[in-house]
Amino acid sequence: MRALLLAGLAALTLPAQLAAQPRLQHFTLPNGLRVVHLEDHERPLVRARLHLLVAADDTPPGRQGLAPLALRMVDHSDAAGLKADVFDRFVEEAGIQLTASSTSGGLEWRLLTRSRDQDRAFGLLADRLLRTVFDPAILELQRLACWHEEEGHGASPDARLRRALVSEPGSRPTPTGLGAISLEDLLVFHARVFRPERAVLVLHGDLGLEQAKRLVLLSLGSWTAKEPIPPYRSLPMATSSQQVTPEALLRLPVPGAPLRLQAAADRPDDVTPEAAALLGLLVTQDPALARVQVTVDARSLVATLDAGSGDGSLLEERLGALRQRTFTQADLDHARAAWTAGRALESLDPGLRMDAAFAEVEGRHVQAPRLHALTPMDLTTALRRWLEPARVRIGAVGDAEALKALPADPDLRPKP
Amino acid sequence: MRLLVAILITTALGLQAQVPRLTDVQERRLANGARLLLVERRGATAFHATLVFRGGRAEEPTAAAGATDLLARALFGATWPEDLEAAKGQSVLDALLKQEEGLLEALRLERLHHRRGASTAASLPSLEASLDAIQSRLKAQFSSSPLADLYAARGGRQRAEATADALLAGTELPLEAFEFWCRTESLRLRTLQLSHFSHARKALETDLKHQGDQGLALLRGAALPGHPYGRDLSDLLPALEALRWSDLRTYAHRALSPERLTIILVGGLSLESALPLVERHLGSLPVPPDLEDAVLPEIPADLGDRRVQALLGGTPRLLAGWRIPPRQHPDHLALRMAAQLLAGGQASRLPTQLIRLKLLARQVGLSLDVPGGRLPSLLVVDVNPADGASLAEIESALTSEILRLQQEPILQDEWQRALAQLELEHLRAWDEPAALAQTLARSWAEGGDWRLTELDLQRLRILPQEAVQAAARTWLKPSHRTTVLLEPTLAASLDPLEAELARVLKVLAATRIEDLAQREQLVFEGLRQLRMLGTEERRRTLKLLTAQLPPEKR
Repeated sequence: MRALLLAGLAALTLPAQLAAQPRLQHFTLPNGLRVVHLEDHERPLVRARLHLLVAADDTPPGRQGLAPLALRMVDHSDAAGLKADVFDRFVEEAGIQLTASSTSGGLEWRLLTRSRDQDRAFGLLADRLLRTVFDPAILELQRLACWHEEEGHGASPDARLRRALVSEPGSRPTPTGLGAISLEDLLVFHARVFRPERAVLVLHGDLGLEQAKRLVLLSLGSWTAKEPIPPYRSLPMATSSQQVTPEALLRLPVPGAPLRLQAAADRPDDVTPEAAALLGLLVTQDPALARVQVTVDARSLVATLDAGSGDGSLLEERLGALRQRTFTQADLDHARAAWTAGRALESLDPGLRMDAAFAEVEGRHVQAPRLHALTPMDLTTALRRWLEPARVRIGAVGDAEALKALPADPDLRPKP
Repeated sequence: MRLLVAILITTALGLQAQVPRLTDVQERRLANGARLLLVERRGATAFHATLVFRGGRAEEPTAAAGATDLLARALFGATWPEDLEAAKGQSVLDALLKQEEGLLEALRLERLHHRRGASTAASLPSLEASLDAIQSRLKAQFSSSPLADLYAARGGRQRAEATADALLAGTELPLEAFEFWCRTESLRLRTLQLSHFSHARKALETDLKHQGDQGLALLRGAALPGHPYGRDLSDLLPALEALRWSDLRTYAHRALSPERLTIILVGGLSLESALPLVERHLGSLPVPPDLEDAVLPEIPADLGDRRVQALLGGTPRLLAGWRIPPRQHPDHLALRMAAQLLAGGQASRLPTQLIRLKLLARQVGLSLDVPGGRLPSLLVVDVNPADGASLAEIESALTSEILRLQQEPILQDEWQRALAQLELEHLRAWDEPAALAQTLARSWAEGGDWRLTELDLQRLRILPQEAVQAAARTWLKPSHRTTVLLEPTLAASLDPLEAELARVLKVLAATRIEDLAQREQLVFEGLRQLRMLGTEERRRTLKLLTAQLPPEKR
């Protein structure tokens, strides 16, 4: 009797424990699909993110925009024998949100559903991924829509400039590139990329581990891929040195607007996630930057300056000064303490927890031992690498006259 | 044994995920009139806090235009130590800020005189040098640590937002920093140091000039003429430039009073542990005397069908706005359902008809309560045409869909679909602390009651379909409508002469005609007639028109 009572009392504390931090668990389906499971019973909701890795060599030269166009085709074609509009109706009727996006690292589907509808939701996600038949009749329409989306019509000039700068040169969709994509290209891309071993599924919410395993197995267990398709060989591939070759200064005219300069640099592969995380805290608030606003995320560093007359080279000077910045042990300690404390914020945001879980699977998460092993010199070196002149792309938005008065683009780059 | 069974049943129930309930939100009133709403999240090791000050842009007098946006940036944009140390009696910073204010004002006036030709530019360099010197001394007062922001140094983050109805300042921090947050916010609101005022104002001015096409601002101005909801801050840049540091502090004393404040906490905090600290620090904020709520003008919904044709932006666009009642009005909920039926997903009516079936549009968006929900505002449909489709075709298709909503019965599956999406969105908001705080804040600032967050959904579940049709007939009718047709000409395809003519005509019209719809119509017609002239004649006309502009606008 006493044992029963104790068991009951112990069980009483269970809900609180369950609600505490979601437990992170991993499993892999026989077909190679990697799954991360975060159990959280706070609300009757289930979230899922399915990420498909797209590498640079999945897009042959001259076919820029293949990945976003393929995504649009998947999203707007018939699936599982259902017309595209009927499919959308099914999704919405079931109280499900299913959205897709194309990022620099791949293609991603996000699913949100009430836990009671999870079977249906995952069935529909699987239909979308595995049972979509490309409709040639919509290709031209989607090509146009893709171009408009890439152009960012309707977005503010600042947003368009930033978007252009953070894309790798040569990877941005162009009308020519999009126009050259055939249905065959799309089918080959689909066969290359839509493979379970290239996918990571992150689940979060009101479902237990066994339930999650059953659900994923039933919905995506039948996802099998044929032999891997070899890389494109007939066409020359862009080399990494080509990818960082600076382009001409991007200029976006806005009548009557003051000049705003922006610079962006992708994170080099040899700058570790730990260094990037700490630089994100230290660099963005560096008083030496004065009027330059810097943001740093896992993939890129962006600096913005609202320039006055005669300030054409100020961004260059500031970035040059930032590149010469050396960090002290105190800087490192402060940043490390702030970063460690900030981990607690993940408990507030399911999206952040899923981001962190996905980063872990991809191996680009911050690891505590490596974070503690960092030295001030490591940080200093990492920032210098990140701001190497060849890596920095610069653009400007403002009145056409002010843009004309800017010096030629090489003068704007940070001095080595 | 019976007790044990009861315990086990309770436990089993506790294991289940909870649907949101009103009792999840605990409310207390602080001694100074501020409200506290707390939602406890068991096990969370951090908290989200939002300070909501009712009022917002709509209550700004014209002389203080932009004050809410400036407070969002200069007061809540970051947490600098220098802004909090001043409360300890440090007067050097105050003195420097006063000097900076004087010099900024002197420079502004001098530049204005110079532009009007009333003075030479001789004194400008010395004033600029003095300002540089003061700003260097100010900078020396600021922290030089690379992690100076007090919240960022503790692993936190903050974000502030100015809306038409409120100023919202949100912070997320680890739990152990809760008392620090209470103390910091109390100091921030008592001190109102605004040490980075000039930088924040300059950044705001630049951001306003860098906005994309101003179609929505044009629609608001034309649909809500003379009303604060119709005002566009970009039109009030001179007032913003004239707003001084001390003006903003005076405004903040009134606008950020405790009686206008609701504190929303979501996270691993219990009421027992949080309330004493909140009461001690934020409950003791002084209440300014003689506080009166601003009286805002009424606007009739039946202003007549208004149309604006404008040359704006690089792509064509159609915006249609209907004047609708405020959030507290009984028809508002029915209009929310109407909005969901019209554009609440890919399978809703407008995307299906305009994008998928008729191939007229690339994108369709719908927003309710533009720019706010506390006063009569707008339901806005925003359409980007597909290549080859005309704005007239889109307008006609849109009108058909509105008529269909008013006249034809709504299918049961369509109704269920809309309701299912609204319920899912509601559940998502309750699951994400920042979204929950935002929803509670909006319900309070717009509807006067945070409970609307939950009550609205309960009422939607029992809303009769006829109510939606009736509300659509009452509010979505031509006499409530304003349509803005944006043609893609300016800058992109206009020759420089025509672009300049358009600019000058717009400035001239702005000095004479208040009504935006009439103003745009005049510019449109003026440009059409000028195109009939030869290039030389148009140049001469431009010269004549430019001569009529005030010097600072030439």
